[in-house]
Amino acid sequence: MSEEHFIVIGNGPAGHNAAVTLRLEAPGARITLISKEPHGCYRPHLLPNWIAGDIKEEALYVCPVENYKNMAIKLRSGQKVVALNLGQSELILDHKEVLRFSGLVIAVGGKPRIPEPLLTFKDLMLTLKTLEDARTWKDEIARVDSVLMMGGDLTSLAVTKALLSLGKKVHFMINEDAFWPLRWNPVLFEEMSHRLSQKGVEVLADQRMKGIKRKGERDYEIQIGRQTVRVGMIGAFFGLTPDVRFLAGSGLRLDRGILVDEYLNTGFKGVYATGDCAQIYYPALRDYWVSVGHDNAVELGRTAALNLVGNTVKAEAAGKCIFEVQGIKVNTSWWTEF
Amino acid sequence: MAKVDLTIEICGMSGDGTIAAGGILNEAMSRAGLSVLAFDSYPAEIRGFGRCVTLSRIGSEEMRALSDKAHVLISLDDKESQSRVPFLVKNGTVLFDNKPASYVPENESIAAHVDPEVRLFGMPFSDLAASASGSTKGRNLAALGGFAALFKFPPDVFREVIKKKFGAKGEKVLDANVRSFDAGYQYALETFRDRILKTISLPEKGEQAERTLISGSEAVARGALDAGLKLYFGYPITPATTIMEYLAQALPAKGGRVVQMEDEISSIGAVLGSFFAGQRAMTATSGPGFALMTELITHGVMSETPAVIIDAQRGGPATGLPTKTEQSDLHAAVFGGPGDSARIVLAPTNVLECYQCTVNSFQLAEKYQTPVIVLSDFFLNNRVENVRLPLLSREDRTNRNVYPEESARGKYRRYQITDSGISPRAIPGVEDFLFNATGLEHTEKGTPDYSSENHQKMTEKRHRKIQGALKDLPEPVEFSSGRTMDVGVIAWGSTFGSALEAVLEAQREGLKVGGLKVMSLFPYHTEAIRTFMRKCKDILIPELNYEGQLANLIGHLHGKDVLRLNRTTGMPMASRLILDKVKAMIGVK
Repeated sequence: MSEEHFIVIGNGPAGHNAAVTLRLEAPGARITLISKEPHGCYRPHLLPNWIAGDIKEEALYVCPVENYKNMAIKLRSGQKVVALNLGQSELILDHKEVLRFSGLVIAVGGKPRIPEPLLTFKDLMLTLKTLEDARTWKDEIARVDSVLMMGGDLTSLAVTKALLSLGKKVHFMINEDAFWPLRWNPVLFEEMSHRLSQKGVEVLADQRMKGIKRKGERDYEIQIGRQTVRVGMIGAFFGLTPDVRFLAGSGLRLDRGILVDEYLNTGFKGVYATGDCAQIYYPALRDYWVSVGHDNAVELGRTAALNLVGNTVKAEAAGKCIFEVQGIKVNTSWWTEF
Repeated sequence: MAKVDLTIEICGMSGDGTIAAGGILNEAMSRAGLSVLAFDSYPAEIRGFGRCVTLSRIGSEEMRALSDKAHVLISLDDKESQSRVPFLVKNGTVLFDNKPASYVPENESIAAHVDPEVRLFGMPFSDLAASASGSTKGRNLAALGGFAALFKFPPDVFREVIKKKFGAKGEKVLDANVRSFDAGYQYALETFRDRILKTISLPEKGEQAERTLISGSEAVARGALDAGLKLYFGYPITPATTIMEYLAQALPAKGGRVVQMEDEISSIGAVLGSFFAGQRAMTATSGPGFALMTELITHGVMSETPAVIIDAQRGGPATGLPTKTEQSDLHAAVFGGPGDSARIVLAPTNVLECYQCTVNSFQLAEKYQTPVIVLSDFFLNNRVENVRLPLLSREDRTNRNVYPEESARGKYRRYQITDSGISPRAIPGVEDFLFNATGLEHTEKGTPDYSSENHQKMTEKRHRKIQGALKDLPEPVEFSSGRTMDVGVIAWGSTFGSALEAVLEAQREGLKVGGLKVMSLFPYHTEAIRTFMRKCKDILIPELNYEGQLANLIGHLHGKDVLRLNRTTGMPMASRLILDKVKAMIGVK
């Protein structure tokens, strides 16, 4: 009898919980958890708090890496999957090692999105997705007095709060993209502008960025409408897009994310996708839906694992989780309209 | 400068250029002003079989021992490197070739074996070398380029060393190697720009001590040259061959000769002959060769003829483990051979002492008219350290031969009984100073005499002479923290560095622990050793042999059993092992 080998790709909240659930549900199986980040699972929503110095780095981690060994989960951190061969039930790592699996959960999450017109300035902007990004923010912030925040996803507001607590001058560009992936909403826009201004943030409303000049080390001059803003750092917060380019040609159905049914199955036996990278079909909505947020990811990771070992658990409809940002409660869905 | 203490391990198959890469790394670190202690481990076969490992410990302070854990592992062969993974520190760094020629099954990559905390840096070593130079031969240099970039180490230092190493091979070879290095450097800079590791802090130009990066074998050879060696006789054997190789280049330039003999018996015979004729000579061998020499060594004892013999110990018995280290020839060096054949046995503990012991051995051999054995070992001979070699003083160069007085002309007694046991030695060819030189027991004139009374008298004379040499032999050196100690660690040879590191760490942790370095193994300084032992509740003697040969030799001085820590793994003893044993003896964790 061939050995059961479950592989989970991605060690964010969804991937981590998928692996742990598999361990509990299939005690005899071999479980491999592959993460391109070089450490254990952490709570990404706490990164702004860490940047602000409110919590210690240890508090970010879900568990010490030794726990994986104790749970007999082989964690391969700092390793990247570059291709999937579903016909052979194989995946290929960046260093050309081939791993065979009997079941697969894809939970690769998303990567920072930069809108097309701003791609030229990509290298001048800092994003915040990973712990390494947060480390860079932490290092850089200590050396600057002012920051321009562009975009306006949920993370941007949490980071703004962190910057203010550190005594930094914050300029915040708000336009109709500002609350992406939340739907554009004039009431929310007004409310948010007002609250940010009250906190001392210089709000640059309805303005377009025309250009960035690098004047020196940590010195940028940005032309916004008719205004010129001079800052030490620029943050880009335009949300995340699923990190699924490596799956092109794998046979999986891809839209913006991986298309899965309400049981998170990709259409291939034993292959599931979950978390931020899964575009889940809800028969009641007759549409695909993507859920974001830590709690949703945890639940979806667990669901995928349960179904992989033979259960039939439906994914909870997104929207379960409510974020509270600057005192405003917002529902969380992603780039799918709701 | 910030404290640096970094252990780097390069591992590959024979033929991967592992040892060459290690040599370049060590030289670069040394040129940058850092302390270096490095050791290569490779298979006994010439090429194509087995694992090669080079371990380099670099630091801002003097390095006494290798670390048992590496901070960085550069894998030139993943299959071979897998066994080195357990020796990585937590959060260690691994550089490996992530573009092997073909796909590899699960678990054949080193990435499958590292702990999650390990930082993996995959680089296409072969591809980088091939695209830069047209050949994959330079993949080891591409790997070094990656290392330099990751640790922000000045690439020019590496380039200079590469030029020195390959310059003589022509422009094309040199260029290919520099290009391979540069390709790896640039690739790592660009690919890992967000993951560049901690910078290796380097001393300012003015802070750099002028030091020479040499191996123990080279130190022995240079010591012999500086002592005025005229003739070297030897038969190749690992790990002593490197001494002969060095001298084959250097000795003729100084007017001397290197002669490869038919075996070790003829080598020691020729050395005795040279000294007999008044010329300084030396041979170097390892365990199996030393065994063959023993009869003639005792001939030197009996005929009171000087000789200098380097025994570079390796794993035994018999041909044993040619490329592994051990300290198991001590009994053979002290007692080997027929009869009561007391001789002088010295054991250096580091590269600098390899030099010093060799220099001293010539004066000792001549003054005390006896074979002097310098016991080094594979680890000492093959490891490199950057040391400051001393300029020899007039004292070091003084001729210590004791020649007969003019008044003895015509009535010369070569083996005259004296209080010191030293009889004036005439060099053959001096008129009216004729004598018999024989391996048979003899009278003061050298005439064979087997009478009980004569043998007793002559045996006492020879032993008196050797015991009298103690005043000229290096005294034990104590590293103690107080007047009384819970544990005293006594060590010799290459294990002493690890022992001292363990002792100093124990002292830092507030433990009452002391250390004693013993370089003179025979005769040994009974009183000094006993004095140290009296201060210690318990004595620990760590050695790279199974029985505890030094413990057997000096253990009785303690008045109760000494504790032994013995390993025969073929590798140097880790200081951690000694520290753990010390703590266990004291009863602390």
